Order: sequence, then structure tokens, then C-alpha cells
Amino acid sequence: MKRGIVSSWFRLLLIQASWNYDRMIGVGVAFSSEPLLRDLPGGVQGRQYRNALVRAAKYFNGHPYLIGLAVGALARTEHEGVPPEQMGRLRSALTGPLGSVGDKMVWAGTLPSASAVGLLLAVTLSPMVGVVGFLVLHNIVNLGLRVWALSAGWRGGMQVAKFLGGRVIKLCLMVVGPVAAFAVGLALPLVGAWLARGLDMNALLGVGIIAAVGIVFARSVWPTLGGLRFALGAVALAVLAGWL
Amino acid sequence: MIDNAGWLLLWGVVVGLDLICVAQTMVSRPLVAGTVAGAIAGDPMAGMAVGVVLELFAFEVLPFGAARYPDYGLGAVAAAAAATGAPAILGTGLGVSLGLIVAFVGGRGIHLRRLRNGLDLERHVDQLEHGDLRTIYSLHLRGLAREVFRSVIVTALGLLLAEGIRRWAPLTVQGAVYLGIVTLGAALSAAVTGAIRLAGRKSAQQWFMLGLLGGLVGLMLR
Repeated sequence: MKRGIVSSWFRLLLIQASWNYDRMIGVGVAFSSEPLLRDLPGGVQGRQYRNALVRAAKYFNGHPYLIGLAVGALARTEHEGVPPEQMGRLRSALTGPLGSVGDKMVWAGTLPSASAVGLLLAVTLSPMVGVVGFLVLHNIVNLGLRVWALSAGWRGGMQVAKFLGGRVIKLCLMVVGPVAAFAVGLALPLVGAWLARGLDMNALLGVGIIAAVGIVFARSVWPTLGGLRFALGAVALAVLAGWL
Repeated sequence: MIDNAGWLLLWGVVVGLDLICVAQTMVSRPLVAGTVAGAIAGDPMAGMAVGVVLELFAFEVLPFGAARYPDYGLGAVAAAAAATGAPAILGTGLGVSLGLIVAFVGGRGIHLRRLRNGLDLERHVDQLEHGDLRTIYSLHLRGLAREVFRSVIVTALGLLLAEGIRRWAPLTVQGAVYLGIVTLGAALSAAVTGAIRLAGRKSAQQWFMLGLLGGLVGLMLR
């Protein structure tokens, strides 16, 4: 195993701490790659180490669970002495796909699926089962992807793209969207019924009307409004109605 | 007075850090944040109820790149504190309403923290361009410290508002029921809209409809 890879993996868990609009996750990439760069020729006082840190801290963005691919691959290219221009091109080439693959796979796929399963377990079995079930499901993906990404990145170096375009990833991307949609669809009626228990017919009708208005607003009338602002507006009206 | 306010504040910091900066294990999801906060405050079922409603809102959030989004985790902590001990729908409506406000404020806080991180970076560009490891460490540490600060402020604000609402909410029972109805309706609409957006393609939307059908059948069988 590459020296520093465990330390680098733990640092990946903090990679977004210095996230900003200028370099996005760039400083975090430098923070996480640093243990992998310590044994560059000349050591931590050497010019190669410092130059590698400068390059690592440049602008970068990607999904936090998959960013290990870039961290590992860029550190590997530093060790292989790849020319800086080529490293720059690798960096640019990874930014888009790392973001879009991770977003589709996790934020729009596994996370809502795990959340829907957690909700189902919570309302049908018990709160604790729901919470634990959700956390276990989500973190198998979270920690598993982080481990895989860093090790694949280190192994791949300049060829890291082959891992992102691999069959498993393609299959995952094909499956996770429909699975998430199905899981959320399955959870909604049961969760809605659990929340609405004890409400009379008039109240249920009210819930249905608000939900329908919200969906129409979000889909057709005012798509940029967002669920939160719609809800805050509705809450303000309800407070007013409660007073009158 | 809210029971275990100090522990709730600490839990708020954990939730706030988990959202973006540390590990993203998703203890910051409202289902977890709310249920645990409810347990700390002495009413896990109330915490779970507000957590479930806010979790439905969270289906709409896609934290892509530089997207701005509400912090429903800290919202759930405040919501659970407000709903603790109140009877069912009355507590849930009131708690979730407060949770939505706190989530909005928390989201603005995330944006401000990112801006502050950027200003900090600007001041240290020279050191970064010389590959100074200390600068990288200190930028990162200050980023974490800002997140702790944001979490403390937002959670404390949420707990203060929760305490205020529990003591002096100028609401009738009817008003509290109205709040329950609108927050539940809005949560369901956010979840449906979010799920349709998640599904994206038409074929995936069909999977959503299939799931919905399955859920309805499950409901009838229960």
C-alpha cells in the first residue's frame, strides 16, 4: 500500500472544509493529497513537493465522495514526473465528469433511495430502525465510494478516466435514478398516511389542496420558487388565518 | 425551558459540521437530526415527526456544485425542540414552521461562510502560490471554525425561537392545526416535485409512478 494513503483517505473526509467560490474544493485537494506527496524526491523541503502543493491547490471541483479519484491520480502523476501541462489537462478533464457522475449517483440516486428506505422503516417499524437503516445504507455507499475512488485514482494515474467510464459505474448510473424514483414513490403514501393519522376529512382535504397547489406552482406557475419559499408563504397565510 | 439545551446545541454543531465539512455521513438529514434532537429533548416521537416532514422537503435539495440550499438538519433540531411535549399535529405544525425558518437562515449562513472562506483565500494567495503547507492547514482549519460558528449561531437562534414559541406563541389551537395542515401539504408537494426532478427522464418518472402505486397498495394492505 502506498505510504500516506490512509492519512490521505481520512483527510478526504474533511475535504470541503475550506470550500469557496474561487477555487471551490481546490485547497481541500491540496490538504488531502499532501500525505501522498511527502515522499517526492527532495522530501517536504524539496521544490518538487512545494510545486506539487501549488498545483494541487488550484481551482477544482468534483463530488466529495469521488474526489479521491482526482486526489490519487494527481498525486500519482506527480510521482511519475508527468509534465505540468499534461497534469493541468487531466485536472480539467476530471472536473466535469467527477461532478456529474457523483451528483447523479449519490445526490440524485443512492441518497434519496436510502432516505426513502429510512422513512419507510421509521414509519412502519420504529424511529430508531429508520434512522439506523438510513445511516447504514447511505454510509456503505459513502465510505465505500471514498475508499474505491482514492485507490483507483492512485492505481490509474493518467489513465484514471478508465475507472470513471467503467462498466460498473455505467450500470450504476443507469440503475440508481429509477431506483430512487421508485423508492421515493413507494415511501410517499405510507409516510403521508403516517403523518396524517388523526386528521379529520376536512384537514385531509386541506393537506391535499395545499399539496396540489404546491405541485402546480413548482411544475408550471413558478418553477424557481422552491418548496421552502412556497411553504414559508403558506405558513404565513396559515398564521394570519389562525389569528383572524 | 427546553430540556438539555446544551446537548441540543452540541448536537447542532455535529449536524452542521456533517452537512458539508466533515464526512457527510448524513446525520445532518432531518430524519436523523430531528429524531436524535427529539430524543435529547425528551420526546423522540415528536422529533421523528418533524424530522420526517422536513425530510420530505429535503428530497427537493440537490447540492450540486455551488448550489445554494436550505439547512434542513439544523431546522430539524430547532423543530424538534419546539415540538417536544406538544400534542401530535399541533406540535408538528409549529415545529416544522420554525424548522423551515431556521433552515432558510442556515442556508444563508452556508453562503456567507463560503464567501468568508473566499476572502480568507484571497488574503493568502501569495503563500498558496509558494506551496506553503501551513497556509493550506490554516485555511482549512479556519473553514472548519467558521462552520462551527455558523452551527452554534443558527442552532442557538433556533433554540431561542423554539423556547419563545413554546412560551408565547400568539396562536390559537385552530391556528396551530392550520400550520400542521399547510406544512404537511407543502412537504408532500416538495417531495413529489423533488422526486419528479430526481427521476428526470420519462422512463424514470414511470418508475416513480410505479412506486407510488406500490405505496398505495401497501397502504391499503396495512
